[in-house]
Amino acid sequence: MWLIAALAVVATMVAACGGTTGGGTTNKGTIIVGGFKFPESSILAQIYGEALAHDAYTVTYKLNLGTREVVAPALKNGDIDLYPGYAATDLEYWNNKAGEATGDAAATTAKLNSHLQSQGLVALNPSPAVDQNAFAVTKETQQKYNLSKLSDLAPIGNQLVLGAGPECPTRPYCLPGLQTTYGIHFKDFKALDTDGPATRAAFKNGTIQVGLVFSSDGDLNSLGLVVLQDDKHLEAADNVLPILRQKVATDEVKNLLNKIDAALTTADLVDMNSQESIQHKDPDAIAKAYLEKHNYFS
Amino acid sequence: MEQGPFLAYVDPWINWDWLSTHISLVLGALGEHIELTAIALGAGLLIAVPLGVAAHRSAGLRLAALGFFGAFYTIPSLALFALLIPFTHLGGTTAEIPLIGYNVSILVRNVLVGLDAVPRDVLDAADGMGYRPLPRLLRVELPLALPSIFAGLRVATVSTIGIVTITALIGLGGLGSLIDKGLVENFHTPLVVAMILSVALALTADLLVVMAQRVAVPWARPV
Repeated sequence: MWLIAALAVVATMVAACGGTTGGGTTNKGTIIVGGFKFPESSILAQIYGEALAHDAYTVTYKLNLGTREVVAPALKNGDIDLYPGYAATDLEYWNNKAGEATGDAAATTAKLNSHLQSQGLVALNPSPAVDQNAFAVTKETQQKYNLSKLSDLAPIGNQLVLGAGPECPTRPYCLPGLQTTYGIHFKDFKALDTDGPATRAAFKNGTIQVGLVFSSDGDLNSLGLVVLQDDKHLEAADNVLPILRQKVATDEVKNLLNKIDAALTTADLVDMNSQESIQHKDPDAIAKAYLEKHNYFS
Repeated sequence: MEQGPFLAYVDPWINWDWLSTHISLVLGALGEHIELTAIALGAGLLIAVPLGVAAHRSAGLRLAALGFFGAFYTIPSLALFALLIPFTHLGGTTAEIPLIGYNVSILVRNVLVGLDAVPRDVLDAADGMGYRPLPRLLRVELPLALPSIFAGLRVATVSTIGIVTITALIGLGGLGSLIDKGLVENFHTPLVVAMILSVALALTADLLVVMAQRVAVPWARPV
């Protein structure tokens, strides 16, 4: 039993050492930053948190909190003050899947705020950085046809094969949307997965030239894949944005977080996600390095 | 984040560089795992023994207790957490309620079975010797029910050590948080470390319960 007691003491000490970081001279109050249980969410939470801590707020973290079913009630009752959200997915959560999200980030965020207002919550400005469904090609394909955006595929689609999950031919954001919104008619469609091993293998052996991926996947660069810009906004706008309690959303906090969001790009997400998924760096170190690189600490 | 066939890098079973720089993370997870398990078992026993004794005396309560905790066992933990957070907030209390509930459903049955199995003639002899109800319970019935209670405690201990990982849903989880990290990042080291530690923990805890049983019930051999 003494062993258990000793280990419990160690655990308590470790727990006590982690968590809280203060900064600056005058304390401006405590902000509890939450996050979902995936690496990108922890990294974004640490970016917001470390920037706030640098600005003399006392910041506590509650990260790796499962899904919105856990995070949303925790935000409502004040167990956390803020979490890194995604405009379209959060809108569809807070409006009970009313189907209001569109490819327009500003409109989607405005709708989201109309639902958050009465709950005492607020979403800040959508960042240009997005984590959403996207269509990628290999670097060779990109160079061969000189591609940068999805519209570029319209004239040459009939020479290319699309790979995605088996549900793609019936989902508006996938094959039907590519046909109606962009006028792309592929040579063939292969039912694979979304950004999984099957899609990667098919890219490699040339079975497909275009594939469905997640735009902020940290493996994209090492896989030699390039995401084509969704220039006609087919995909629902899952732009990164912090969602916070109105109580902590002072103008100063809003300005700070909006400034971070405005500078954040999808390429930054890919880079930071790869630092975690490939190099296994810790989210706090990745976030700190990002903020230092962008001179938030100077 | 599956690592596709494009990646030449092969993830070793144990990445010693990562492990050596994350010892405090691993020990913290282990300590949290032990703490969550110990509280769940202790509180589970504190509830299950009196409840079992009471249910042994009342047929109505027996039906209600077994029915309630049987049904409790079937509630998905995510649903339970989502329901509890508005009242008990993020953290230990919310994590322990399902764990304690699961333990009570295992233990209360074994308390009942143990008390049911006390032979009628032993009770008659105790009554004949002039035992009042409470001393009879404490000095005759419960000691005779102990082997069954210990059998339940062993099942509850090992199953709790496994089930604690579900509290990773609310950011705790003990070794479960390492398992999640390994799964999310497709990273072997935390998975392997968590697996080894949880097996070692389950074996150690089981051994401790068996040793406690030897001391408490020297006349009965643990199975």
